[in-house]
Amino acid sequence: MSMLHDFAVWLAHSPLNAAVTARGWIVPEVQIVHVVAIAAVVIAAALINLRALGVMDTGRTRQAVLAAWYPVMLGAVAVLALTGFLLIASEPGRALFRTVFWVKLGLILVALVVTGAQARAADGGPSRLLAVVSLLLWITVIWAGRWIAYAEGWPGAFS
Amino acid sequence: MLEDIADYLATTPLAMAMTDSTWLFGAVEVGHVVALTLVFGSIALVDLHLIGLVERGRESHALIRRLLPLTWGGFALAAITGSTLVFANPQGYFANGFFRAKIIALALAGINVVVFHRFVQPRSMAPGALAPRVSGAISLVLWLCIVSFGRWIGFTI
Repeated sequence: MSMLHDFAVWLAHSPLNAAVTARGWIVPEVQIVHVVAIAAVVIAAALINLRALGVMDTGRTRQAVLAAWYPVMLGAVAVLALTGFLLIASEPGRALFRTVFWVKLGLILVALVVTGAQARAADGGPSRLLAVVSLLLWITVIWAGRWIAYAEGWPGAFS
Repeated sequence: MLEDIADYLATTPLAMAMTDSTWLFGAVEVGHVVALTLVFGSIALVDLHLIGLVERGRESHALIRRLLPLTWGGFALAAITGSTLVFANPQGYFANGFFRAKIIALALAGINVVVFHRFVQPRSMAPGALAPRVSGAISLVLWLCIVSFGRWIGFTI
């Protein structure tokens, strides 16, 4: 907690914070890039998992769809990590001190592993279960992200 | 006229529910974000394909047909959740420049879809044809505007 506090104080006084708060339009525009990248993750997750469920693109194998779209998902998550870091830098006292933010980070890791695990799952039962879990996880990630704006911060948190 | 509609909407039970609850607006907003990522993601994929950047060599009609349920399902959810959000502050949204611009961009995107289905798709879908690429580029720009304006509403209302 105190390390996190020190990090937030350092970030609040960093040139990065000065840069992203220099103009009022920067944070909204970074958020827009963040939302567009979320759309890329969602569409990749939808294509991979709906194929695994056998309801879409059945002309191609599950593995082919995964091979085409999992890299897109990883690339979009990289963009999300970068834009997300910029958003944290703009207001270090916000996300870092809310439980729902750390829940979100954990869910992203689990969702990436579950989606990627489709490559090794056999056709049918296991892959269908993974597909449903993966879709639910990504929706929960979006919920957690939006909820950072509504959740209470930890008591005594840096601001 | 618009003010009268906004004033009326503000007196409805839904408006009361949206303003009284501490979590309802956020919950509807989550639904709106999920919906918009489905709409924008599937439309952007078709647009980028029409422009010739992704899924090259795959048949356009089949790609569009395959994605249509995602686009329309997402659009229906976005329209329902979006309309519900308006009830939280009808006067504020109706007077907001980004909200108005977003509605106009949505209407233009709708016209673009009609033009594409009626005139472009039945004729010139050969690889490299200009009309589909223009349709895709117009659609992509309009939907980027729609998503951007939507995010800006939150900062200006």
